[in-house]
Amino acid sequence: MNNRIIATIFLFVLLLLVSARKATAQNYDEILSSASSGPEFMVMGFGDISYVSRDGTDQDGFVIGQAVGHLAASLGHSLNVFAEVSATGKDSEYVFEVERLIAKYEFSDLLKLSAGRYHTPMGYWNSAFHHGAWLQTTTSRPEMVKFGSKLLPIHFVGVLLEGNLHSNKLGLSYSAGFGNGRHANIARAGDAGDINGDKAWMVQLQMAPDGLYGLKAGLGFYSDEVSPTDRPDIKESTVSGFLAWTRESPEIIVEFLHSSHEYLFDSSVSGDVNAWYAQFAYRLKDDLSAWKPYARYEDTDVDDSDPLLFDQGLDYQAGILGVRWDFNPYAALKAEYRSEEYDNGGRENNFRLQLSFVLSKL
Amino acid sequence: MKPYLNNRFIEGLRLCLAASLLMIPFVAQAEEPISQTGIAIVVHKDTEADDVSMAELRNIFLANKQFWPNRSRIILLVRAPESDERDYVLNTIYQMDEDSFRKYWIAKMFRAEVPRGPKIVFSSDMTTDLVVAIPGSISFMRADQVSDAVKVLRVDGKLPSDEGYPLK
Repeated sequence: MNNRIIATIFLFVLLLLVSARKATAQNYDEILSSASSGPEFMVMGFGDISYVSRDGTDQDGFVIGQAVGHLAASLGHSLNVFAEVSATGKDSEYVFEVERLIAKYEFSDLLKLSAGRYHTPMGYWNSAFHHGAWLQTTTSRPEMVKFGSKLLPIHFVGVLLEGNLHSNKLGLSYSAGFGNGRHANIARAGDAGDINGDKAWMVQLQMAPDGLYGLKAGLGFYSDEVSPTDRPDIKESTVSGFLAWTRESPEIIVEFLHSSHEYLFDSSVSGDVNAWYAQFAYRLKDDLSAWKPYARYEDTDVDDSDPLLFDQGLDYQAGILGVRWDFNPYAALKAEYRSEEYDNGGRENNFRLQLSFVLSKL
Repeated sequence: MKPYLNNRFIEGLRLCLAASLLMIPFVAQAEEPISQTGIAIVVHKDTEADDVSMAELRNIFLANKQFWPNRSRIILLVRAPESDERDYVLNTIYQMDEDSFRKYWIAKMFRAEVPRGPKIVFSSDMTTDLVVAIPGSISFMRADQVSDAVKVLRVDGKLPSDEGYPLK
């Protein structure tokens, strides 16, 4: 080998090392810059595509789920803005919606004040998985917290106070909200204002004990006066609770809600709703760690005397079995069998295959 | 060996030697296992905290706790994948594998609990430089690579050199 070749190799190696150090220096500058008070943006996306096969119907086929875009911006040390926009495929069009828009000022861990449109911070699922099918183990949300649910107001527009009390071993945290109640279409939030002037309010306490890393439990209360288009005003009170073991082997989520509804003009006309689900999943170990079998049971029972929901056909029971395969760090394939019964109308079996994914730089 | 070949051989050898000397700073040194040296939790020198419990440390690394007692924001710096230090911290503090760690931060951002994930650093030198430069920052490195420019936090009242240090 002559000196020229040796010198060329040496220069090439030196060039590689210099460029590596330059890349590190660029990263160094980026981190320094982002740690200062300048704006910083993060964009993410979620999506899912399913194939659904149902008993007794010829409407089997592919379903494009929601395409969701999420923007998080840090506008200074304490002011953050989050936006979530979805596109949902309907029969003949796509429906675009601002799912969440939150401006949050963080005074400390104990006190964070925000305003905007939220997923109502009641229970576990509604504020843990949002619109990210990839984040949740199963193909879909439980019926009691499905999007468009009339049981629990899924969205809430108003202000929210939240914080953590991590100085205690229980890992207590709280959230308290005040804002617009349900729209006259009770499946929707009061995006353009509260329709009856009586604001909704809620409070939820959660704990994540230090000694049981992975365990979360919470209890919440929601109150509102609802003004449906076709009946008099109704007082609504909802209590919800959950217990979640969030480690993947196993994953256990149990959640319930109890709602009471009564006419404001006649409290003798009243009824209750009880709904719950229990989900169990287990991520396998070692070579099979990409696989996660799961099961869920759901039950919703609406009193015939409930003035708000008696005629909405919400009684429901379902058993679900499935398996999730994380074949890629950013995508999962889920196969799921469901046996469901709506409003005592007979069982329907269906099978779903879902590809879900996240678009993220992390 | 012919004289001209001999000269070329010596010349080549000199170049190799010079190249090797220049490469020395870049070549990784043989390191003791982390289980012997321990992982030090390092913070900016002005950080008021001196001692954290393991539970508190976990809450900081999970971004459940985002402020120091003086209400300055905690800036978390985490080593890039495929480093022993990161593997050790994922195992002991997070108790997660890489996939669970990624999913945790994506979910955290998606829940609007943090506007960004942790900042990624690529070496102990870079960790030191950034911890020195960013008030409120916290990171981790091998205890035998810590310099005087940063402050080492006690964990459960112990330093990496102490018996029973939890990150060793």
